Amino acid sequence: MPREALTLADILADARVWKLSLSSWDASAGQRLSSSRPVWSTGRDALDARLPGGGWPTASLIEVLLDEPGLGEVQLFLPALVQSQRVEGETPWLVWIAPPHEPFAPALAQHGIDLDRLLVVRPVSATEALWAAEQALGSGVCAAVLLWLKGTDDRWLRRLKLAAEAGGALGIFFRPERHRFESSPAALRLLLTRGNEYPRLDILKVQGGRPGPVEFESSLSAASS
Amino acid sequence: MRPRGLKSAMADLFEAPAAEAPAARHPAPPPSAAVSPPPPPQKEAARARSRHLWYAVVFPALGEPQSPAGILERLCLHAQRFTPWVSIDPPNALLLEIRGSVKLFGSLAALHADIDAVWSGLRLRAQSSTAPSTLAALWLARAGQKALIEDPGLLAGRLAKLPVACTSWENSRLSTLRTMGVNRIGELMRLPRAGIARRFGSGAVLDLDIALARQAAPRRAFAARERFRERCDFETEVETVAYIQKALEPLIERCARFLRERQAGVQALELKLRHRTEPVTRVRLGLASVTGNPLRLADVSMQKLSRLELAAPILSLELLSGRLQPLSPDSIDVFACLGGTDGRDTAPQLVERLRARLGEQAVYGICPVPEHRPEAAWQRVQVLQADDASRRGRPHRRADAPEMPRPVWLLNEPAKLRDEDVEQLHRGCSMLEEGPERIESGWWDGKDVARDYYIVRQAGGARLWIFQERRSQCWYVHGVFA
Repeated sequence: MPREALTLADILADARVWKLSLSSWDASAGQRLSSSRPVWSTGRDALDARLPGGGWPTASLIEVLLDEPGLGEVQLFLPALVQSQRVEGETPWLVWIAPPHEPFAPALAQHGIDLDRLLVVRPVSATEALWAAEQALGSGVCAAVLLWLKGTDDRWLRRLKLAAEAGGALGIFFRPERHRFESSPAALRLLLTRGNEYPRLDILKVQGGRPGPVEFESSLSAASS
Repeated sequence: MRPRGLKSAMADLFEAPAAEAPAARHPAPPPSAAVSPPPPPQKEAARARSRHLWYAVVFPALGEPQSPAGILERLCLHAQRFTPWVSIDPPNALLLEIRGSVKLFGSLAALHADIDAVWSGLRLRAQSSTAPSTLAALWLARAGQKALIEDPGLLAGRLAKLPVACTSWENSRLSTLRTMGVNRIGELMRLPRAGIARRFGSGAVLDLDIALARQAAPRRAFAARERFRERCDFETEVETVAYIQKALEPLIERCARFLRERQAGVQALELKLRHRTEPVTRVRLGLASVTGNPLRLADVSMQKLSRLELAAPILSLELLSGRLQPLSPDSIDVFACLGGTDGRDTAPQLVERLRARLGEQAVYGICPVPEHRPEAAWQRVQVLQADDASRRGRPHRRADAPEMPRPVWLLNEPAKLRDEDVEQLHRGCSMLEEGPERIESGWWDGKDVARDYYIVRQAGGARLWIFQERRSQCWYVHGVFA
């Protein structure tokens, strides 16, 4: 978990900690800490290769732009969600806020999600949804929070980003494509559109990586099942 | 001062009014006592045992099954005016230990009459008796004899005349006694002990010993259920929620202390807001798990109050606890008072906060149901297994996977495909990826289905879960592979 890694870093940074073989340890530790901000593999090599660290970042926001459900937007994250729940010792929660349809329990169980640790939230308004997301992200008991939005303002998203960093959770929010040219505090922005044969995934923004389309050899939604 | 005999000291210990004594009617008899020869009638021991004086009252009307539940508990509350040690003898009797109260009420006769006056005041038909042993008092009361016996030495003589039926032993035992020609307890007492024990079990001998005050028989004292209830009156009518929150804080704090002192928690609190004319506003503060943590109680109440729209200014508020529940060992955090959980929430806290603002129904879990029809193959879960204790040791369970993959989204209602879409399907514009999977089930509850499911990929890339109704041959979309 990211929290533990930070604790280690804090300890190492403490001047009172006596370190053996200072020069070599520092180099390796420093390198490890910078590159090992923990990531969760996406389950697809083509995508992992395009992301810094080789997977979805943690403790940050990911924005997915898409106009219609069904392009494999959830399957994109399912392997990472399963992985995040398998952390040794504790099982963090997943919170799905305002999903467009009912999450189908047998399907999620098929993929290996621990349903005892999944919370579905149905707020009545967009503001309530954002509030719930902020609470869940900042609570420290969630591994990931998935949020489906019709539209929102930048101020709220920045609050979510702060909450995600504080709580060490991954915030994934889905928005329509028309928000493509608005600024966004998300560390990673993805665009999912219909392709010729399979859906098309474009990386619009990635911190520490190169934007551009991602090529898949097969359909997104078929890849993991 | 000479030390008293060890035996009498032991008897004192054994008969001490211990609330934690087992509730059974014959609690923990020493196994050898039943068939062993009767304890020698030592004067000293007998005097020590007669320290207790039992007032028994039997309500013949309450024995019937249609009498309301919990009425004996309510009568206990009346009886607790006279002694702290009241015990229930189901189905229809109470036992009061009144030795300590005799002096306060002047005499035994006066006390006995005072207690009897309570029942007649309640218009209850009651038969009462007082004796130095529990069963003797009960048997006398059941026989309808109003006896006031203080000396254990008189017990044998009084009990001897009672019919055997007033012991309320099981019918088989009573009918055996009748065929033996034993109708009075005195006739039973004359029989050899070993013979009674062999014939009727050691329980009968033990009962006789208890009735004659030769054997101690502690009873569990009735303890009323506790609730927290505190009220705060305002000097003027209040309508600002912030002010109400301020007034609620000390109540919550006292409630948490009340719970902590009892090592208990609550699942819900109720807040009553009284207005001048309007009916009382009730606010339910639901908690995701049993807790007595002041932070969590305060958190939920603040969230609820901040969403509250008052119909009218309020005059007073009252905080009531629901039923107190024992805390599970995991919820008692020894170090919670030292540093807290460094500002982080626990899962129940998160659920509570979301529920307090969004409503109980808006936050739920889901679980699969072993059922073939997709719409019945899942259900919402309102009670979340929020604490880790219930999960520990449970292996990670993967549901039995159906052969065909299931979609992440299930539509609430299957959406009928338009004719042109069906045409496209037949022309091959959409790719048929998998299928058919026939689901035919549910004839028993009237919602039977007969469908052939397919997975279809549309030209753009979206994957749908569609089915053809076998009877109408119509096509529907039922799910989306998101």
